[in-house]
Amino acid sequence: MAGKLLRLLLLTWLLLPSGGAWADPVVIVNSRSGIAVMSRSDVINVFFGRNRQFFNGIEAQAIDLLDQHPLREIFYQRLVGKDLAEVNAYWSRQVFSGRMQAPLRAASIDEVLKWVVEHPGGIGFIPLARADARVRVVFELQP
Amino acid sequence: MAASAGVTCLMRAQFIFLLPGYRLAEVGRWLLFVLMLGLASLAGAVETEALVVHGFGTLGAVRTTSDQVEFVRDLSQASGAGRQWRSDVDSLLGLQANWRLNDDLEWVIQGVSHHRYDGAFRPELSWAFVKYEPRPNLQMRAGRLGTEFFMLADSRQVGYSFLTVRPVGDFFWYLPFSSIHGGDVAMTVPLGEDLLRGKLFYGQAQGRLPLGSALWEIDGSPMGGGYLEYQTAFWQLRASYANIRFNHDLPFAAMLGSPLPAAVEQHLAMSGKRSDYYSLGAVYDRGPWQVQVMLNLIDQQSQAFQSSMGGYVLAGYRIDSVTPFAGLSRVYSKRRTDTMNSLLVGRLMADTHADQTTFILGMRWDVARHLALKAQLDAIRGDEDSILPYRNDPATGRWSGRMNVFSVSMDFLF
Repeated sequence: MAGKLLRLLLLTWLLLPSGGAWADPVVIVNSRSGIAVMSRSDVINVFFGRNRQFFNGIEAQAIDLLDQHPLREIFYQRLVGKDLAEVNAYWSRQVFSGRMQAPLRAASIDEVLKWVVEHPGGIGFIPLARADARVRVVFELQP
Repeated sequence: MAASAGVTCLMRAQFIFLLPGYRLAEVGRWLLFVLMLGLASLAGAVETEALVVHGFGTLGAVRTTSDQVEFVRDLSQASGAGRQWRSDVDSLLGLQANWRLNDDLEWVIQGVSHHRYDGAFRPELSWAFVKYEPRPNLQMRAGRLGTEFFMLADSRQVGYSFLTVRPVGDFFWYLPFSSIHGGDVAMTVPLGEDLLRGKLFYGQAQGRLPLGSALWEIDGSPMGGGYLEYQTAFWQLRASYANIRFNHDLPFAAMLGSPLPAAVEQHLAMSGKRSDYYSLGAVYDRGPWQVQVMLNLIDQQSQAFQSSMGGYVLAGYRIDSVTPFAGLSRVYSKRRTDTMNSLLVGRLMADTHADQTTFILGMRWDVARHLALKAQLDAIRGDEDSILPYRNDPATGRWSGRMNVFSVSMDFLF
């Protein structure tokens, strides 16, 4: 009985905190890009198209997710505290003033990984659990 | 009601296109517009890596509490709203095609149909330029392009991109020109975690300003300018300067029905005269907060226009999908002494006076993806002779100076 309870507690301890953390979005770059870590400002500047270059001169090639993907809302909420409507309003200003195009949007995490792996300056966001050796986690977005 | 009235206006524009004897270029323009519309609606938005066709639009209705003057969105409109609801002041439809040739080169074409200087809804080519990016943070454009005379000035038509129903009048009324034929170059330099951005532009203005039943041509007037901007994660600070040298005089003869004495024409000449535009802007955008503070100073060389100062503060706070906002704007122009001491000259010079404060209260509701509904009250409190911002003002050049403006709009992207 006591053993069973202990096992249940252990399982809860294992699952609960990590279960949340594993779904947290993280920003990833191509592991050969030479980028080890980024600040929140760096990430904002790249994903809002304000800075198209990493500190080492490599062109930043951002990939976003479609609105329908639940991670997109979580990502922008945690990055800048903005709704998707506000993010889309921002991009409508950039696009229709002729300044710049929004980053391409992937439909799935697999597509994001594929983009980041295939582009030397690729940068995207995925759940922490999906990060593998081909990419490097440079920023974590905790709640 | 607003929606159906807006559609009627667009349909009226369609009928104009069907009139026989219409200029071929006009027909071509409409055909291109309709073709792009078809393309865009076919698949929601056509999106491949190379070609993107998409659009934006607004259906709006506005009325005021005064029949003494007509309220317009900006000075490019010849008529506007009174006590009756009008849907043509703010309603518009825009379409844009972006065609990427390779990593460095892109074509952009945009057409907008809106209530223009002659009251028609004929689509106009707002942008048609090629963009070249030789390096990631360096951008050059050439062709017909939008100008950032003031911060946010090149997205004045895209209602979905801002909080209010229309850009704040006391600040933006004075810009009847929306594009130039020319070029610009923009550069971004990272400074630690912040960014420094600069832009220079030069070209010939595109635009016409309706004055009474006459039109003042601005087309071809050389203009140039630039800005310097400092951007942190949540702040954007900008100082900008621009000038335009007008190449046509005001159409006094057409406005008044008879030519003015040569000496008066000379005194009020616009041709060859320069206007300088200085502005400062700050935008704070973080979490639920959006705050804008803008100031401008317009120095008019010609005796026909009064130099002015304008500014506004606007703040919005989002609660779920609703963002209530409040603001305050002010414009003031300095009277000139009429050195000719003539009644007529004095009257003409008084015509460009503005001295008023506007209290703004409203809300934006993001009802669905790419769809926002807005409602807004502008309480205008000004001098009796603050008439520059209005149309069809009384012959006396005076009105009560006070009115409330009620506006509703639906802004969308597709």
